[in-house]
Amino acid sequence: MMSWVKAASFSGEDVFDENADDLNLQSKEWTSNMKKRIKDGYVDGVSAGEEASLQVGFNQGFREGAAQTVAVGRLRGIVSAVWCCCLIQHPEKPVPSCVIDLLQQVTRHEEGIVDGIRKALENPPPSVSDVSESMEDLEVKQADPDCSGAGCEETDCCRSEQKMDLDSSHQQNLCSEPSGASSGSCEGLDLLVQRCMDLVSELGLPRELIGHLEELKNM
Amino acid sequence: MLFFRFRGKGYQEGFRKGTHRGLQIGRRNGASQGAKLSSEISFYYGFAITWKCLLECNADNKSRKRLRALEALLNLIQKSPLDDPLSMTLQEDTEKLRAKFRQVCSMLGVPTDFKDYIKTAEGTSF
Repeated sequence: MMSWVKAASFSGEDVFDENADDLNLQSKEWTSNMKKRIKDGYVDGVSAGEEASLQVGFNQGFREGAAQTVAVGRLRGIVSAVWCCCLIQHPEKPVPSCVIDLLQQVTRHEEGIVDGIRKALENPPPSVSDVSESMEDLEVKQADPDCSGAGCEETDCCRSEQKMDLDSSHQQNLCSEPSGASSGSCEGLDLLVQRCMDLVSELGLPRELIGHLEELKNM
Repeated sequence: MLFFRFRGKGYQEGFRKGTHRGLQIGRRNGASQGAKLSSEISFYYGFAITWKCLLECNADNKSRKRLRALEALLNLIQKSPLDDPLSMTLQEDTEKLRAKFRQVCSMLGVPTDFKDYIKTAEGTSF
C-alpha cells in the first residue's frame, strides 16, 4: 500500500507503470480472497437453504402428485373389479375382450400420468458450481423474481411442460405434453370413463356404477 | 467488518438459491410418492365401491359378510391421511389398508391372476 502512496506524489501516467506489478498482485490477491470468502459463504448458504426447503417442497409435491392419480386410480379399480367379477362368476368363459382392453388402456393412461409427473420435474437443478460461476450472481438483484413454490397452476392439463430456469419464477406444470389419446390429458380420461360406462350397460351391471363413474368426469 | 459483510451477502444469496433448489428436489420426490400412494388407495376405493354395487342386491349371508368387509375397507379409505404426508400414522394406515384389501380379495374369492396383476401395479412401475 505504501508504494501507492508514494506513487500518488508523482505526476503523470508513469505511476502505474512503475508500480504496476506490485499493485496488480495485491489487487489480484485481494479479489481472489474476497471471491473465495464470498463463494464459501455462498456454498454454505446453498446447503442451508436446501436443507430448510426440502421437506416443504416434498409436502407440496406430494399433494400435487396425489391429486393427479385419484381419478385414474379409481377407474382402474372399477375396471379391475369388473374383470374380477367376470373371472369369478363365469370361470368357464374367457373374460370379454372389451374388459381386458379397457383395463390395459386405463393402466397405460395412468402410466402416462406418472411419467408426465416425473418428466415435468426432472430437469436437474443446476449444481452450485454452475450457479456461482459469475460474480454478478452475487449481487442481489432487486428485480429477481422469487420462486415461492406456492400455488402451482397444475390444473391446466394441456399445457406443455416448462423448463425450470433457476432465475425465473416459472412454475412447473405437472402434466406431460399431450401425445395422443392415452396421454395425461383430461380428454383421455373422460373417453375411458365413457367406455367404462358403455361396458357397464353392455354387461348389464348395476346402474349405480354409472353414478360413480360420472363422478370421475368432474375430478 | 468488511469480511463478515461479504460473507453475509454471499450466504444470503446462496441461501436463496439453495431454497429454490431444495423446493424443486423436494417437490419432485413428493410428487412421485404422492402419485403412487394416491393411485394405490384410489384403486382400492374404485374396486370396493364396484363390488359393493355388485353384491348389494344379494341377501345371502356370504354376500352380507363380504359387504361388511367392503364397508370396512371403504371406511379405512375415508379416514386415510392422503393429504397429509407429514402424518405420523401414514405408514401404519397404509399397511392397514393393504391388509384389509387382501382380506377382501380372499373373501371375494379373487383368483391368483388378479393378485399377480395387483402385485405388478404396486411393485414395478407404480
